[in-house]
Amino acid sequence: MSLTGMKKHVGVLEQAGLVSTEKVGRVRTCKLGLRRLEEEAAWIERYRQLWDARFDELDKVVDELKRKEKTDGRKKRA
Amino acid sequence: MDARREREPTSVKNRTTVERKSERELVVTRTFNGPARIVFEAWTKPELLKRWWAPKSTGVSLLSCEADVRVGGRYRFVFGHDASKPMAFHGRYIEVTPYSRLVWTNDESDDGAVTTVTFEEKGEKTLLVMHELYPSKEALDGAIAGMEGGMGETFEQLDELLVALDANVGRS
Repeated sequence: MSLTGMKKHVGVLEQAGLVSTEKVGRVRTCKLGLRRLEEEAAWIERYRQLWDARFDELDKVVDELKRKEKTDGRKKRA
Repeated sequence: MDARREREPTSVKNRTTVERKSERELVVTRTFNGPARIVFEAWTKPELLKRWWAPKSTGVSLLSCEADVRVGGRYRFVFGHDASKPMAFHGRYIEVTPYSRLVWTNDESDDGAVTTVTFEEKGEKTLLVMHELYPSKEALDGAIAGMEGGMGETFEQLDELLVALDANVGRS
């Protein structure tokens, strides 16, 4: 994409409130201007998915320890 | 009990919830189908911790996992896509109450949270509540803004948007 094309795109995004830009010297920095709450909700959902994935694995460890405890218990009684 | 399981007829998978309770607090909850003693063990023995802390689906692997779970003991988890760019998380355990409560600090920066995990046995299940308390609102906001992987996804969305806009501009 050409620089002019890029400028046009960023301009459209900025007008739509999706990004905000700041020019310092020759450099224009572009920041996502998504509403904070939406951004936070999306992050929380990603964080939930991370823990959910961890806990699915933890379920397996718990199941295994439960089974092991049962077997060991049986051995002790025997 | 059966009504609760209706959504997942084939399994008894428990739901994970995450909520920002306040400007400085995040709370994660999950129920496990086992006694608190066993769930606690899985959080406090490094050889068990490493089996679940970095699930494959996250794309990040646990390069090393040390956890000396006793009051004042330290932990250090090193993550990475490969060994060349490792990311370490470390801190200290400040409270260890067998089968019911674990508290640790996150010492990577001054903005690290203090994490409290409680294990509450209910019948044959255990309700786990993980509470993360950040030192300030800014610290939690910062964690939310800068989480690994987050920006990558955001930029992908921006790419898609640019393509969509390009198509629109072309048409008009």
